[in-house]
Amino acid sequence: MKFNKKTAMLISFTLGTLLVATTALADIANKSGYDQLKDALKVTAEQGSEKFDSFTLDFSIALMDNGKTLMTSNEIKKYDRLKGASETISTGESLNGDKNNYQYYADKTTQIRVSESDPTIYVTEYAKPREGEVFNNPFKEDEAADLEKILDAIVGSLKDYVVVVENSDASKELEGKLTGSQIPALVNAVASYSLKQEFNGNQSNMPHLTKDVYVNSVSGKANVNKDGVMESILGTAVLSGKNEQGTDHDVTVEILVKLSGINTTTVTKPDLTGKKVVKNIARETPGDEIANPEMFVGKFNNNILIEKDNKFIKIGERIIEITQIDNMTITGRYYEEYKPGFEEYATPDRKFKLDGKKPEQKNYSGFDYTTESGIKGNLYIDEYGGKIHLNMNTSMGGLHDSTFSPDVE
Amino acid sequence: MAVFQAALVNEVEKLYKKKKALIAVLLSLAVIVIGQLAIVGVRSGFGLRGAGSVEFPMLVLAVVVNTILPLFTALVAIDSFSGEFSQNSMRITLTRPVSRFKIFCAKIMAIVLFILAMLLLLLILSMLVGVIFNTNSGTLHSFVMTIFSYLVSLLPMVVLALGIVLLANLIKSGISVFFVSILVFIVLKVLGLIFSQYSSLFMTTQLDWYNLFLINSFPVGKIVRQFLIMLGSGIMLFTAGFYLFDKKEF
Repeated sequence: MKFNKKTAMLISFTLGTLLVATTALADIANKSGYDQLKDALKVTAEQGSEKFDSFTLDFSIALMDNGKTLMTSNEIKKYDRLKGASETISTGESLNGDKNNYQYYADKTTQIRVSESDPTIYVTEYAKPREGEVFNNPFKEDEAADLEKILDAIVGSLKDYVVVVENSDASKELEGKLTGSQIPALVNAVASYSLKQEFNGNQSNMPHLTKDVYVNSVSGKANVNKDGVMESILGTAVLSGKNEQGTDHDVTVEILVKLSGINTTTVTKPDLTGKKVVKNIARETPGDEIANPEMFVGKFNNNILIEKDNKFIKIGERIIEITQIDNMTITGRYYEEYKPGFEEYATPDRKFKLDGKKPEQKNYSGFDYTTESGIKGNLYIDEYGGKIHLNMNTSMGGLHDSTFSPDVE
Repeated sequence: MAVFQAALVNEVEKLYKKKKALIAVLLSLAVIVIGQLAIVGVRSGFGLRGAGSVEFPMLVLAVVVNTILPLFTALVAIDSFSGEFSQNSMRITLTRPVSRFKIFCAKIMAIVLFILAMLLLLLILSMLVGVIFNTNSGTLHSFVMTIFSYLVSLLPMVVLALGIVLLANLIKSGISVFFVSILVFIVLKVLGLIFSQYSSLFMTTQLDWYNLFLINSFPVGKIVRQFLIMLGSGIMLFTAGFYLFDKKEF
């Protein structure tokens, strides 16, 4: 049987099209190991911030040089979403051999810090309960989608290096390893240069690699349980190079993150009885609102100083008297008092009524005011330090000082 | 077959008598020399290793499959078709007692041989340079993988050439074909970055498919799929290109 030319061409074209179409569909349907890894991370982050009542995250980092441990760090973070509480137990040894062990507890109204090297326990209490989740889903941040696209583009053809092994109980193991020429040359160069700079800072215990620095291998391994939640992920990178004396060094970084205790983790508040406790009341509240405005009613002052004969001399006082303050408005007056003999410094400009209003924009705890003579300025309440800052937009008599402290005497 | 052979010899001869082939060789050499100089610079300037003797040919491959190789493939393919259309020398070729199908095949085959020759030249030169300038030696496995990577790069390059041949038969002016090819190449590259989940479907990302062979676990499924996509698009492009070539009047 002989086809004529047209039929042959038609058949071959159709065949080609079918081949491309079917394989393309199969290819899109087939998720690469990299995509499965991303999905597992997303599922884990979402469940952690929305579904699990409590869980424990265990972060460990170890840095080794030719097998000798240089630095370790371990952080166990317990989250209780129902109570809004979290606890961090951190242990580790820094590069210069210092041990830093501490425990940190936070819930909606308190923060407690217990450090091994310091017998004092620091407690911060919040005037208003804090809002927000104990664990935020990083994939819900605004930049996450863009960052993901950029990462995808960088990873590019390396996607298929992630191998997926599916177990009979639907749990998965993801694994990947890159060595030698498998690491793209440009990625290798940029990574090894930045790591080299990082290591060669002033940390004396790090091997100073100066020659033939390259990323030797990068590998990773993750376990995903049957619900698609990642239970552990281990990443290892080896940077090789020579130091000034020509000795070979393999610097290994290992990062391990484990997720455990889903819905069974309990966060306990540290027991403070019989311990030395330093209490601190935090007045900071979200949206830059002043928690206790009435505290600022009264007199605030600072000294008017001048320089004379290489010495500071007090010639008087600047005084702010606040008669009314809330989160939107402030009223009061500003004036200066001079010591006898220095009256010539006084000007009528610097005696005015304060009648301030909070501007429309958010995240600003200042008040704008205009004096009777039309001069604009603003006043800022520093709740944390208990101070008032005044920007008068006119020159001050004597040395400039815009910070006013409460007149408590 | 003897007729086809004669047509092929004819095409190859036409190809290598042109200066373009020589320029291609010189430029490949330049890429390798500049690449090696850059590595020496990075090594002494920043203290980085850059690339070892085995990695160097891979580095060269990664650069050329996305730059000069497609460029020269385009030049040769355009010259073989548009060039002959415009000089009217195609008439002389066609007056011979050879069917258009055989002439079309011979031309394609000549382009394939050109790409293969370029790849082999680059492989040998970069290996030589790599061994001479970079001290650390690689294993036999990585050596074999390097040769293999160069050889498998032939396939996506041929598909690319077939696409350019189709364009050359579609658009009259050789210069337009060249610019359209470059534009399409860049657009596909950008699309491949933006829609990275579908990137395996783009001709331009397939140029990097040799990477799949370097993976330790050897993803057979992925390789087969990529191969079939390239095969299918190759058949499509070949048929469409020949259809246009066959219908053309000179």
